[in-house]
Amino acid sequence: MSEVIVITSGKGGVGKTTTTANVGTGLAQLDKKVVLIDTDIGLRNLDVVMGLENRIVYNLVDVVEGNCRVKQALIKDKKYPNLCLLPSAQTRDKTSVTPEQMVKLVDELREEFDYILLDCPAGIEQGFQNAIAAADRALVVTTPEVSAIRDADRIIGLLEANDIHNTRLIVNRLRMDMVKRGDMMSIDDVHEILAVDLIGAVPDDEQIVISTNQGEPLVGSDTLAGQAYMNICHRILGEEVPLLDLDSKNGIWSKLAGLFKKN
Amino acid sequence: MSQPVVLKSNPHGINLILDPDMPFTELKKEILKKFEDTDRFFKNVKIGLSFEGRVLSQEQEYEILDLIEKNTSIQVVCIIENDERIDAYYAEKIRAFEDAQAGRTGEFYKGTLRSGQVIECESSIVILGDVNPGAKIIARGNIVILGSLKGNAYAGAAGDESAFVAALDMDPVQIRIGDAIGRSADKGPLSAIKNRKKVMEPQIAIVSEDGILIEPITKGLFK
Repeated sequence: MSEVIVITSGKGGVGKTTTTANVGTGLAQLDKKVVLIDTDIGLRNLDVVMGLENRIVYNLVDVVEGNCRVKQALIKDKKYPNLCLLPSAQTRDKTSVTPEQMVKLVDELREEFDYILLDCPAGIEQGFQNAIAAADRALVVTTPEVSAIRDADRIIGLLEANDIHNTRLIVNRLRMDMVKRGDMMSIDDVHEILAVDLIGAVPDDEQIVISTNQGEPLVGSDTLAGQAYMNICHRILGEEVPLLDLDSKNGIWSKLAGLFKKN
Repeated sequence: MSQPVVLKSNPHGINLILDPDMPFTELKKEILKKFEDTDRFFKNVKIGLSFEGRVLSQEQEYEILDLIEKNTSIQVVCIIENDERIDAYYAEKIRAFEDAQAGRTGEFYKGTLRSGQVIECESSIVILGDVNPGAKIIARGNIVILGSLKGNAYAGAAGDESAFVAALDMDPVQIRIGDAIGRSADKGPLSAIKNRKKVMEPQIAIVSEDGILIEPITKGLFK
């Protein structure tokens, strides 16, 4: 049975697109058939993060308007043949698609894919309404900042109002050193404010910037962020995975050093 | 009014517009005259009748109906109430009743109010859940929150300063009661989160001489 997941946040720049790219790629690595849909019409960039921009011929609006078939617009990933991207249009705006059209499109894709991930635009206007219309569940991405948390709270309320109840939270760009100093909210703080179950915490990792700039999602690599994303993928599949120890920032050597310190 | 009795047709029948000051016995004569004049025009019609311009008692209404039935061929099927003053009178009564009841009756709302959600209530309200920052409750009566108040609450919204706001955990952005406004201390949002109370203490906000006063709910408070 296929599942449609919208990745949303309310606030911009917290990592929706990066999360979509990494979670989608991770699920593909776990042998699931996955399609990513960029619903940010007019400001498309999921294709850039995936490194697939040069392959775009048709886009979401072309499909909805009947200029091409869905299959023609789907772009196969460079590495994983079971991963596809439906890019957004750059020269149109959010009103080019209606929620009903999204539902119809997604229903068509359900037949072929295990997971359909919808990369939601920032904001709560038509683009958001389009993205959530077809979703079975939602992943709300937030950073440990008050503005992002406030917007996430609003988004969770709107999701509930639209009958999407099994929402999970991703806390992105966590910096354990700042949390320890008391300069940043901890995962517990965020969890207490939003009262939504956590599905993963991703550390602030410069490797993310590098991977985004290269157009190669880092999920599954031995970086801390890559492991965090892979854990999220396992949890989406329903597996129980303990939360990553985000403290071990410098990898195996600091872990060893930590061992000696304890003794 | 130039004429003491005016007949006006409407989709359901006719409006009888009556002089408000003329004595009733005289008015009856005028009504009779008016209907006799127009009897040929209205011959054997079935109409709904409504009265305007004057508040009539039930007996007076029956007397007029009697008059019409006995002296003309018009059949009055029903009386349609559309007196504006009666409407206004009832609306006034209902409003007064609601005002009096606002502090005594209440509604329940189950669930957490998240940022952007607003609840408005004509009476008092009990929230079984949290009120997050950016959410708002407005009630004519009192507000009781069985959870954390971290957003805005506005009690006694029609101006009643005897209303109160009570919460199991009181950490509001702003509280308004009647015309009084109280706001939270100027602390950064992060320190507010980091320094939140570890133990919940039920508190109540009321209007005192110096504005809004928040105090713990203790045993002696309601004596």
